[in-house]
Amino acid sequence: MADLGRAALVVTLGLSVYALLAGAVAARANRRRLADSARNALFCSFASTLVAAAVLAVALARHDFSFSYVASHTNRALPTAYALSAFWGGQEGSLLLWLLILTGYGALAVALNRRLLRDLTAWVVPVFGGIATFFAFVLVAVASPFGTQTAPFDGAGLTPSLQNPYMVAHPPMLYLGYVGLSVPFAFAAGALLSGRTDERWIVATRRWTLAAWTFLGFGQLLGAHWAYVEVGWGGYYAWDPVENAALMPWLAATAFLHSVMIQERKGMLKVWNMVLVALAFELSVFGTFLTRSGVVNSIHSFARSSIGPWFLAFVVISSLFSLALIMWRLPLLKARTRLESALSREATFLYNNLLLVALCLTILWGVLFPILTQLVKGETRTIGRPYYDFFLRAFGLPLLLLMGIGPLIAWRKASVRALARTLAWPIAAAIAAGAALVAAGAGSSRPGLIAYTFSAFVLATIVVELVRGTRATGSVFALVARNRRRYGGYVVHAAVVLLAIGIAGSSAYSTTVERRLALGETMHVAGYSLTNRGVTVARKPNVTETRAHLAVTGPWSGSIASGNNDYVNPPEPSREVGIRTDWARAEDLYVIVDEAHPRTNLIYVEVLVKPLVNLIWVAGLVFLVGSGIALWPDAREQRRLVTRLVPAAP
Amino acid sequence: MALAVAGVLAVFLLYTAVAGRSTPTLTPSQVQGKSGKLAVVGTVVGPVRGDSHLAGGLRFRLADPQGRSTTRIAVTYRGDSPPPLFRAGRSVVVTGTYSGGRLEGTDIVTKCPSKYTASTPAS
Repeated sequence: MADLGRAALVVTLGLSVYALLAGAVAARANRRRLADSARNALFCSFASTLVAAAVLAVALARHDFSFSYVASHTNRALPTAYALSAFWGGQEGSLLLWLLILTGYGALAVALNRRLLRDLTAWVVPVFGGIATFFAFVLVAVASPFGTQTAPFDGAGLTPSLQNPYMVAHPPMLYLGYVGLSVPFAFAAGALLSGRTDERWIVATRRWTLAAWTFLGFGQLLGAHWAYVEVGWGGYYAWDPVENAALMPWLAATAFLHSVMIQERKGMLKVWNMVLVALAFELSVFGTFLTRSGVVNSIHSFARSSIGPWFLAFVVISSLFSLALIMWRLPLLKARTRLESALSREATFLYNNLLLVALCLTILWGVLFPILTQLVKGETRTIGRPYYDFFLRAFGLPLLLLMGIGPLIAWRKASVRALARTLAWPIAAAIAAGAALVAAGAGSSRPGLIAYTFSAFVLATIVVELVRGTRATGSVFALVARNRRRYGGYVVHAAVVLLAIGIAGSSAYSTTVERRLALGETMHVAGYSLTNRGVTVARKPNVTETRAHLAVTGPWSGSIASGNNDYVNPPEPSREVGIRTDWARAEDLYVIVDEAHPRTNLIYVEVLVKPLVNLIWVAGLVFLVGSGIALWPDAREQRRLVTRLVPAAP
Repeated sequence: MALAVAGVLAVFLLYTAVAGRSTPTLTPSQVQGKSGKLAVVGTVVGPVRGDSHLAGGLRFRLADPQGRSTTRIAVTYRGDSPPPLFRAGRSVVVTGTYSGGRLEGTDIVTKCPSKYTASTPAS
């Protein structure tokens, strides 16, 4: 079995090298049959990677501990779903998943565009081949998932907190996003190599980029929810390098998704878009380097490994390659039109891009800061939450405001008077919301108040747009169907507003109280009273569950339990928090029992009241709906594209 | 040009914000001769004694991660209960004030097992 997996990976490596070299020669010499052959090699590389993936999946499902990877990441007691999820749990399996998605995406993207964009895909094939060559080489020579050993009786097992449905879905979502960004990158590089730098590569990859961005965004929210309900520290995002590694490419891709609209419509920002698409791709690979090399200290216990230098080399080489390509083709990337006014939709999109990229670079700087201080000062220095929170407010709040202005401001040139007239209702709504919030006592946090006021403004702009459009078309469904991309975008904007409200509410207005409670003692937190009703211990075959029980009175009455589990195999503890959502008050009561002593019934407890935190999870669902609308096949748009692209094709 | 503007904007604000807000993050072998507020990354060495809620605090030692040095530093941690994953042999980051060869800890973070970490399989 392991030999089959190894052989399949060697075949993938060979096919990828062939797709790279033969594809490059064919594209350069315009040899059509050789280009077809290289393209077929890319298709076949997906098939051979699929064989390798199937071998690993079968080994995991069968608990075949002769595979070192299987023995290291599963045990016999592990349910099959979690055993299969170990595929992307370890480093080698993650890389194999990356290669599988990459070759699958590459084959599909090339197959779908091979007729309409033949000249361009001839160069896209070797770019995909080059990326696949790197991953296949690492899997064959540096980090193979097919190492074997004498099978032990049982495996090492899986950390209890990872035995959670969120952890089954969260990592592959992120990989679908990370790897998805290689599609626009490959087409952008193909456009530069072929000299076809018009908008066709953008049109061909728009849905790919949107899908990758959706997976990456939703994957991060799944991870945040897992942290909230399972890890039990009361938060959902810690600005850790591993978390930031997913956020940075998402921010770059967000900027790209906005700026391509300007290129499509106005023929501007061509260089900028090339830079953004390369940045998003490089950051997605760089994130893997960060998390695997051990060069930065992370609370996430990723193993240090030998793949770090290889990834760093790949990032450096591919960045230089991208930069050289852009410099080489600069004459072809001249804008068709110029920015006419600082008060226009184009300018607003540009400001949006600058803020997104500035936020992205700020986070990158924070992640790299320990490495740079070590290199310059010989001492590692880290920067923490205040730094990131400061820049999230500095760049995030203006971004929120622009999200409302951007869709309503006129193209080319807008007048202040016309803009004020257009935004009159949203401004009135924002002022009314701000005044109501101050009256309700929300003025205790200035950033929170600004975030809420801006959120009201953006929501009002969306409502104004929907009302105006519905009046014209007669139905909101007809309106959305007529321009799915635009109105899908509005729904995504609404999701971002919900996210902003949730983050502001749960961080700026949360209450935290820690107490030592003896049996029968009561503590009071933000209108709730919690009384210690004692500690119970339940011994089960693989786990001992210790729970402190608290009676709750206040906005609602009932009980809540929290404590910890001690597992036998693997011998790990896990914290079990008590969370009760009050939808009427839109807040969570979050109870963390740090210590519970069964003999004395003494507990140390931390209670958090987190207003509006659940809007973050609701935002995830709204985000999916909005992305789904924008991604949905649109026959009218397709006809427009064919009309636009076919004459451009040779 | 836009990238340059974004870069300059970011660096300027970074400079103003970062100054004075970073914390030295060291291993036990690097702590010698230092003093003041810092974070120490290391592996917990037992015995772990005491109670973080009491005046005497929770007492343990920290060794360099992955045994790169034999240096140990003494830690007294006072504050909330340590995370459930805290115990001898775990990788932790302790933030506090270092003086006289002892770290007075005010915060402990244990490594979060957000990936399946390999350990020696049962035989």
